[in-house]
Amino acid sequence: MELTTFVQTIANSVISGSIYATVAVGLALAFGVMQMANHAHGEFFMLGAYVVYVFYALGGMPFPLAVLMAIPTIAALGLLTERLIFRPTRGNVLAGFMATAGLTWILQVLAGRIWGLGFMKMIPTPYMGSATIAGAQIGLQRILIVPAAVILLGLLWFFLHRVRLGKGLRACAQDPDAAALQGISINKMTALAMGIAGAYAGVAGALMAPIHAVTPYMGRDLLITAFIIVIVGGMASIEGAVLAAFILGFIHTFVTTIFDATSAVMVGVAFMAFILIVKPTGLMGRVKA
Amino acid sequence: MEHDVKFISAIGGNPADATHPFLTKKKVFYATLISTDIMPDRPYLIGGGDVTPRIDMLRPLYHKINNPELKRWAVTSQDDTIGLTCQAWEVGAAMAEGWDIVYDKHFSGETEDFAPVVTAILATKPDVVSLNLTYPTYVTLIIEQLYLQGFKGIISANYIDTESVMQKVPIEYMADRKCANSFPLFDDPWWGEPSWQHEFIKEWNTKYGPGAPGDVHRKITGIDWDHVIMLKVWAHGAQLAGSFDPDEILKALRAAPSIPTILGPGVMYGKDMWGIDNMVSPPIPIAEVKADCKCKRIQAHLKFEQWFESRKDMIIKVVKEKGQYFDQRK
Repeated sequence: MELTTFVQTIANSVISGSIYATVAVGLALAFGVMQMANHAHGEFFMLGAYVVYVFYALGGMPFPLAVLMAIPTIAALGLLTERLIFRPTRGNVLAGFMATAGLTWILQVLAGRIWGLGFMKMIPTPYMGSATIAGAQIGLQRILIVPAAVILLGLLWFFLHRVRLGKGLRACAQDPDAAALQGISINKMTALAMGIAGAYAGVAGALMAPIHAVTPYMGRDLLITAFIIVIVGGMASIEGAVLAAFILGFIHTFVTTIFDATSAVMVGVAFMAFILIVKPTGLMGRVKA
Repeated sequence: MEHDVKFISAIGGNPADATHPFLTKKKVFYATLISTDIMPDRPYLIGGGDVTPRIDMLRPLYHKINNPELKRWAVTSQDDTIGLTCQAWEVGAAMAEGWDIVYDKHFSGETEDFAPVVTAILATKPDVVSLNLTYPTYVTLIIEQLYLQGFKGIISANYIDTESVMQKVPIEYMADRKCANSFPLFDDPWWGEPSWQHEFIKEWNTKYGPGAPGDVHRKITGIDWDHVIMLKVWAHGAQLAGSFDPDEILKALRAAPSIPTILGPGVMYGKDMWGIDNMVSPPIPIAEVKADCKCKRIQAHLKFEQWFESRKDMIIKVVKEKGQYFDQRK
């Protein structure tokens, strides 16, 4: 691989990892607190992209504002999901998973019905052009992803470690029974977790809307990647999810560049299997007492 | 069958594979958009109005004529039946025209991020990046990456939707890269005035254009006429034969020295490509994107048969090596 190609691939990998991290941390947080997997997480991402389509592409709203609109919109969807699906099925992992699988299809069909199927939605790139960074040419729209991811992940870290509510979330993730005994409302924490998960998936989708093909099915494959990241990082470990996101971003990007995207998926899954063999709790997961 | 349908126009591909035994038994014409569906055991499956894959085979010739100094040809498309088959024909044609094939791979249809795909293509330092029959959604994203990663050569494809790509790439870049493709617009001055094509677009705008009863909220594209072409061919054949019988229609069409189509006079052709002369072969328009109109405009109108006859041995050899000849794809 030539040096220019190598540098370009590194740049592509950083962008890719940033996207994965923003999508996966929400899933890791929700899983940590609820001990249940949200199959519709990819569709939260998809709907975040459609928020930008509606407000920016169709409505003429400035792009940054349209992205911010995705936060409360998809957070609200997360809250609804917790209230209507996860709370009634608490403790029944399979029921929760199957119910959100159903939600996946409902959201895909709804998006198709409302906005149509066929070609991807036309979302003008708000920041056209590219910049040369260390010899790599990166689109301005993509460069935006990195600081956005840093800010979002930084905010989440601050919330979880410095804010009382966030500490409550972590307590629930570590030991829900002990947290309940300390007076922490499990219902409030699960709602908060799903709200944050929705917000993060939504804003990731919103940021990616001018970059990816916006269709009702755009979240499908990203969900698989997000699950791999959560598993590799260590269930419920936010830090692990971030680390795993960048590792997988690098693996996917390099293998796609050298071979193809199908091989990249296979190598990613093989990497997950390897980690599970070597460290079954994931990179930064902990064994529960 | 309840309504005694004689002619079906459809996209082809997997549906064609599934339905042809029944339609053959019932002697119903099935006009596919994809010529690669044509096979000897499908006597009533016709195609060719859609320019695939002949456009993909003629583009290497077109670029070689216009830019004889260029040598390096990179081609990619999605890894489905359409991509695999059409790309094989294009690679054979490009090699027959003396191009060095520096990149010949397919990307997964599940690809969301085309940055690494384009990085890999550009690592081979191509003079031309061809997108073959890549689906329009992917074409837009790949061209965007070519722009962002600084590609300065020629971009060429089966179909490029100028309006979609312009949302992400400056029109000046598209024009400088040529963005050669087919599926011309019917308001193109090339057709002349008056012309069937100009009348068609006027009619289309009356029914589906801005403010019309069936307003589709967009301009006519280069593929809105894709089904009309075969319908007109079939109707002409029925008039020649004086019958709706498909065997009589095929006989009449094959005997006709020229068949009027909306892309120009065509002939029934294709035995060497598909094992049966069921392909309507009109001349192929090749357009380039122009900055002044922010649209594509026809630059050439190429006849396929004579060119193919002189190069078919080499092209078919390559297609067979790739396992994509019609008798290898059952």
